[in-house]
Amino acid sequence: MSGASKSILAVDDSASMRQMVRYTLEGAGYEVIQAADGVEALDLAKGRGVDLVLTDVNMPRMDGITLVKELRGLDTYKFTPMLVLTTESGPETKMRGKQAGATGWIVKPFNPDQLLATIARVL
Amino acid sequence: MLPTPIEIANAEAAPLADWTPEQQIAQMLELCEAQVESATCESDVAVDSLVKAFSGLAETARAMKAAAARFTPEQRAALGELDLKKQMEAIERQMTSAVVAFQFYDKLTQRLGHVRYSLSTLALFVCDRAQATQREQWRRLFTTLKRLYRTEEEKQIFQMMVEGASADEARDHIHQSTQTVRAGTAGDIELF
Repeated sequence: MSGASKSILAVDDSASMRQMVRYTLEGAGYEVIQAADGVEALDLAKGRGVDLVLTDVNMPRMDGITLVKELRGLDTYKFTPMLVLTTESGPETKMRGKQAGATGWIVKPFNPDQLLATIARVL
Repeated sequence: MLPTPIEIANAEAAPLADWTPEQQIAQMLELCEAQVESATCESDVAVDSLVKAFSGLAETARAMKAAAARFTPEQRAALGELDLKKQMEAIERQMTSAVVAFQFYDKLTQRLGHVRYSLSTLALFVCDRAQATQREQWRRLFTTLKRLYRTEEEKQIFQMMVEGASADEARDHIHQSTQTVRAGTAGDIELF
């Protein structure tokens, strides 16, 4: 599986989670851009295009669902795949993510092979 | 009977006129919160070191794999290609398991954060007699704390105990579920 030339914006306030995501994605050949919250992610996404957004939900300053909503409001990100990676599995939060424009919902902990397969499917 | 360390500390710290059971409960709750916070901070440092060590190992493993791919047929034959390939695959499997296992620490710190918030909230609540003596206010407190919970395990423990299960029963139930998750590793994936 190779993600050559594709870039992924990985957003999580946990440094160890960001490391695990980066390890997994870079191993498959993706370029990984990291952000610690929604505000930083939004700034980065506006500054450069990314091919996919992978975001946590509960973060300081701006949560992941708001980030998805904000990005969907930008022309550049209308059709960009956006996956939510979270400990939350409740149907209400999932529905809020779907309504905000998320492409899919992944409950932590993620399995590296399954995460890569899901990303390959939506890219 | 000898006084306990807490009783001694209370006697030294506060005049008797200020002593109320509510204050003592609040102080104990704050003490628990501080202990959890302290332990979490210490663990954060240790886990950060572990993650860095893991990243270093992962880089090395990838470099070895890339180097092995450049071997000439003669070099492969000399090293025994099958063994090397199997060993690299074994390392990759172990790395994958480590990636999943590390994520449980993230869940742990999140859950401990909720426990800390609950303890602090309860400490404030019990000191407010107007609230603490009303059943409706307790119900509201429970609802507030329930909203904190993000993981399925937290929600299940809350639900079981609200419905009358003992702490041991709830813990055993979650322990069994957690063992299943660890064995099966990953959470659900849903595409919309």
